[in-house]
Amino acid sequence: MQDRLHILEDLNMLYIRQMALSLEDTELQRKLDHEIRMREGACKLLAACSQREQALEATKSLLVCNSRILSYMGELQRRKEAQVLGKTGRRPSDSGPPAERSPCRGRVCISDLRIPLMWKDTEYFKNKGDLHRWAVFLLLQLGEHIQDTEMILVDRTLTDISFQSNVLFAEAGPDFELRLELYGACVEEEGALTGAPKRLATKLSSSLGRSSGRRVRASLDSAGGSGSSPILLPTPAVGGPRYHLLAHTTLTLAAVQDGFRTHDLTLASHEENPAWLPLYGSVCCRLAAQPLCMTQPTASGTLRVQQAGEMQNWAQVHGVLKGTNLFCYRRPEDAHTGEEPLLTIAINKETRVRAGELDQALGRPFTLSISNQYGDDEVTHALQTESREALQSWMEALWQLFFDMSQWKQCCDEIMKIETPASRKPLQALAKQGSLYHEMAIEPLDDIAAVTDILTQREGARLETPPPWLAMFTDQPALPNPCSPASVAPAPAWTHPLPWGRPRTFSLDAVPPDHSPRARSVAPLPPQRSPRTRGLCSKGQPRTWLHSPV
Amino acid sequence: MSYIPGQPVTAVVQRVEIHKLRQGENLILGFSIGGGIDQDPSQNPFSEDKTDKVNGWDMTMVTHDQARKRLTKRSEEVVRLLVTRQSLQKAVQQSMLS
Repeated sequence: MQDRLHILEDLNMLYIRQMALSLEDTELQRKLDHEIRMREGACKLLAACSQREQALEATKSLLVCNSRILSYMGELQRRKEAQVLGKTGRRPSDSGPPAERSPCRGRVCISDLRIPLMWKDTEYFKNKGDLHRWAVFLLLQLGEHIQDTEMILVDRTLTDISFQSNVLFAEAGPDFELRLELYGACVEEEGALTGAPKRLATKLSSSLGRSSGRRVRASLDSAGGSGSSPILLPTPAVGGPRYHLLAHTTLTLAAVQDGFRTHDLTLASHEENPAWLPLYGSVCCRLAAQPLCMTQPTASGTLRVQQAGEMQNWAQVHGVLKGTNLFCYRRPEDAHTGEEPLLTIAINKETRVRAGELDQALGRPFTLSISNQYGDDEVTHALQTESREALQSWMEALWQLFFDMSQWKQCCDEIMKIETPASRKPLQALAKQGSLYHEMAIEPLDDIAAVTDILTQREGARLETPPPWLAMFTDQPALPNPCSPASVAPAPAWTHPLPWGRPRTFSLDAVPPDHSPRARSVAPLPPQRSPRTRGLCSKGQPRTWLHSPV
Repeated sequence: MSYIPGQPVTAVVQRVEIHKLRQGENLILGFSIGGGIDQDPSQNPFSEDKTDKVNGWDMTMVTHDQARKRLTKRSEEVVRLLVTRQSLQKAVQQSMLS
């Protein structure tokens, strides 16, 4: 049985390689070869592993390699099909109608991924016995590209799973689908756990004969989730750690925003699964997209632009169409040296562009005009191009830009910042992660002493300067629009009875003439115009300090 | 060095578990809360504890009303808070010196 599987595996690899060769798709072929070699390396490493943590990392690499191989294979098959059916194949001599306009590509970056957990009462504070731990990571797929985050060890002292990785996909279209999959595995040996489903599985494996039983289980468990089909790419190490798909979701352009958002997760496993984690059901992240039309110039050339208010004086400029602006520089070199342009014309969804209409009126051929509405005023710029061909190519660039803006929508309002992800350190040493929370058992009254004691036993970073979070406690906030988390005041409510019932809100800045405590919450003063801020502090300077019993 | 509101922040926190008390028909905690991101922190007469999480709910970006609601849910008898205070930093520093 084992031999047959090996043969099948080899045949599959051969088939994949042949297909890649026949398509002469060198790039995809190179990527496939690379993944196949990585996979072989991961298999060897897995076989040689003695420690559970190493095995977890190797299994993760294997899973990622398998996913990539399957995805590249799928892509190869698509291209092969298209070639055979004659759908693709650019014929340069084609003089038919122009191809349908296609939107520009963009870079999509997902970062600051955080998945909240929801531990049940019994697990959260009691049970100081053995710490049950899981290894989790995210697999992200956009088109045929697959990337993974680092692996994180999770135990019940964590409230969220937070990934530090920034994942960037370079060639996305506005119709992209970014599939996010969360995989988890138990850190402890699966046999060590008690539980009916495990016992059943063990019975199954032992009754069918150990190795074939495990394989049957593997094939039963492998529904869904990429990279886990055992027939095509069988997992070599029997008894090693196994990752299970815990949750997944798909993000599209609608989810893109220059800020943090929360999305729903579809949970894929239930409590019987050995790697089940109590997920809250959502994922927070920052999904940003930079269409190329916003970051790269889409057209440039010589233009004559009518100076504002001066009918006869047309200046010759070097125009560069980039993002939502047409920059007109005095000289072509200025575009690269960072000199200020002579004139900047905004191009956005509301802009209207017309060609040739003003020719007669101005006595200048090959002109186009760009009109923008600013409040009640309409501002029109007339631009003269060098020739009919130049005019056509400028118009074409502008139409393409309008099309891209209609496809990429909110990504074209302003350029979203994307940080180039730093390369991750490979295979970090996974020391058993003790957690400060797990070690703390703080009685309410002697908290500071307890914290000090526990901390003296741990080695930690030298803290020369006060850490940034202490700034939350300074009296003078550094920023004009301060926001602070809800504060807890010591209990004044014990000393005098307050009308409990439905808790009401009192304001500490009650206006002097009226001394009676108000029973209704106080509306803040009319907001002033404050500079644009993110998130919730957008109503202007808060003026109150509300204070409620709970 | 200051922190920027709206950006994630890492802080030393302490976990506190409180069981609500029964007073008449209601379950109460027995203290008051003040502040919220829609409030003016310069008017805070206390600068003691700041609450980061309540029963898993993030409290770093909530308005006063949202904070009050999360603490006063009728269905919950126990409230688990992650709290940060300035004195925790002193504790960390003291432990470094010894």
